[in-house]
Amino acid sequence: MRKFRPSRSWIDAPAAIVAVVVLLVLAGIGVILQSEAAYRDLQQQETRVQAEILAASVTAALDFEDAVAAREAVSAIRVNRQVRNVGVYNEQGNLVAGYGRDGPGPPGTLADRLPPPENAVASEVPVTSRGERIGTVILATDPEPVSRRLTRYLVIGLLVIMASLVVGVLGVAQSALRRANRELEDRADALAEANAELKVQVSERGKAEEQLRQAHKMQALGQLTGGIAHDFNNLLTVIQGSADMLRRPGIAEQKRIRFAEAVVQASSKAAALTGQLLAFARRQPLQPEVLDVNTLIRDMTDLLDRTLGERIEVTTVLATTPCTVEVDRAQLESALLNIAVNARDAMPEGGQLDIRTAQVADPAHGEMIALSVGDSGTGMDEDTLARAFEPFFTTKMTGKGTGLGLSQVYGFASQSGGEVRIDSTPGRGTTVTLLLPSRGTAREKARANESRTLKRGRTGRILLVEDNDEVGEFAEQLLGELGHDVVRVRSGEEAIEQAFAERFDLVFTDVVMPGMSGLDLAGRLAASRPRLPVILTTGYSDEIATSGAGGRPVILKPYRPETLAEAIEQALADRK
Amino acid sequence: MPARAQPPTEEAVKATFLPKFARYVAWPAARQLAAGAPFQLCVIGRDPFGPMLDRAAAVEQIDGHGVAVRRLPNERGAGACHLAFVQGQQPADTGRLLLALRTQPILTITDARAGPQRGMIHFTNISGRVRFFINEAEAAQHGLSISSRLLALAAGVTQRR
Repeated sequence: MRKFRPSRSWIDAPAAIVAVVVLLVLAGIGVILQSEAAYRDLQQQETRVQAEILAASVTAALDFEDAVAAREAVSAIRVNRQVRNVGVYNEQGNLVAGYGRDGPGPPGTLADRLPPPENAVASEVPVTSRGERIGTVILATDPEPVSRRLTRYLVIGLLVIMASLVVGVLGVAQSALRRANRELEDRADALAEANAELKVQVSERGKAEEQLRQAHKMQALGQLTGGIAHDFNNLLTVIQGSADMLRRPGIAEQKRIRFAEAVVQASSKAAALTGQLLAFARRQPLQPEVLDVNTLIRDMTDLLDRTLGERIEVTTVLATTPCTVEVDRAQLESALLNIAVNARDAMPEGGQLDIRTAQVADPAHGEMIALSVGDSGTGMDEDTLARAFEPFFTTKMTGKGTGLGLSQVYGFASQSGGEVRIDSTPGRGTTVTLLLPSRGTAREKARANESRTLKRGRTGRILLVEDNDEVGEFAEQLLGELGHDVVRVRSGEEAIEQAFAERFDLVFTDVVMPGMSGLDLAGRLAASRPRLPVILTTGYSDEIATSGAGGRPVILKPYRPETLAEAIEQALADRK
Repeated sequence: MPARAQPPTEEAVKATFLPKFARYVAWPAARQLAAGAPFQLCVIGRDPFGPMLDRAAAVEQIDGHGVAVRRLPNERGAGACHLAFVQGQQPADTGRLLLALRTQPILTITDARAGPQRGMIHFTNISGRVRFFINEAEAAQHGLSISSRLLALAAGVTQRR
């Protein structure tokens, strides 16, 4: 939108400048004329005064007819070169003394005097003595010399010219300024337009970038799901296969045990994988427990061997003292697995994997447990090293990795109050060191024993709330095995009906359900049945991750029977 | 009015001068004139001027005061004079007359032709021109103040110290 500009101001037009100049010239002329008149007046006055002075000085000379004295007085006037002629006349009008500077002197008698020429300045003054006129003095002076007048005119003229110049320059400057202003405004307008254009382009670009990012994410997601699907398929193959084998009649006890073991292990890995994913998505609440890293590593050696394959030799150098930390067990296992898998992929021809634990004193963080995993693989260059922890960043081929492994390690380490460091030399190998805060001499909680026999503890009436049929059926069977009396419902609403209809000892509910969620259910029940314990179970939950479960125990899926049994035991015990 | 046809005589010039002296002298307050009253010009002793003096005095006007001429044989009655032309029959007489007038604030005028005795103004002839000497000191002693303009015209001035 263009501003309205007035077409010209009063000082813009050259006519105005000319008018001002003309005025100045006229003023100059006026000044000259006026000063001329003033000068003439002044001269007249001066001449008169001189004549009067002369008259006073020749009074006695005239009285006593002393021509000598009169001449003396007159000659004193000669000093003034401007005096043209002087005449002192007595009472009778006769010249007593006088002179003419150039040419004829004054007339002999007053009667003979001529009127003064145009340009001369003349004065006639009576000589008086004690009230009586005794004579006359005539004095005539030159007018102002031309040179002086011209100088005066020149000065005034110069002033007028200078003033005119100033006005002229001002006018020119004004118009130039005006022009420049107009130009500036034009440019500003153009700039504003360009700016608007730029903004549009920037936002377009932003949109394009956003779209690109989305596309990338989708692509990464595709890769991820591809990778996960691939991993899961492998695990499912093991599980399905083993389960199929278990169904066969007449299978040897040893084989049965082996197959069952395989299923358990595969499921464990699958759980670890989901845990990895969820940790990455930060949806998995951590369940820290006090554990000894050395023990954990020892327990994992089997799994590690299987994961790494035959061509990789695993050596452990563990600290002699217990390395107790308080971290989420599953996360630590995942982290170690991820590092191991990376190491394996860096040694396609095989190699060595060296696991060490040690206690270190870090100046910043105090006592730490250092868990380092070193390989003799290809190593990482500087660029790869810089991006190693980036989610979705992978140097492996498509399908051969999610790019989430190290980011999980990083996430886990920082969430647990520690850090992870990588040392790598291309061609020589890589060492990944996990630093976790030490828990000193805290005792490790006694783990569930190896025998995997289910202990029969307290039993009670359990209300099972699960919308998924398979999981619900399995849970019902499991709880039955544990000796509990189970009533299964498929929704929170049904659960409330049941809870009010019959007496229950415990409610075991899924969290994520259509309609009323497990948390809502727990809340409702707390109001009316405050002493009824509620155990929640979930694969993931935004709510729980962000705001917790309100102090209620949460069993994470997939859960081991022992875990569930313990939780129920605990809840029922608390109730009593 | 002096005649134009022939140059004026010495006496005629002196006669015109005499009344004019009064213009350039200031008498003390005691001798100030009332409005319209004339200056008293006395001729004490011989009168060398005659009617010329009367004619000269008649045309004289000084600030609205005229000049009246009185002739006195001697100093008696000279108390009212402002100016006095003093000339005895003999120079000694002039001296005596001057002495007699010395207590009065009277401007005494003498002529060198008559003798060496000098009054406050003493006529003389220098190169054919009538000039005069002025004894300003004596005039001042008598309370008379003589204008510097007149002093400037004098051939010689005896000034008070």
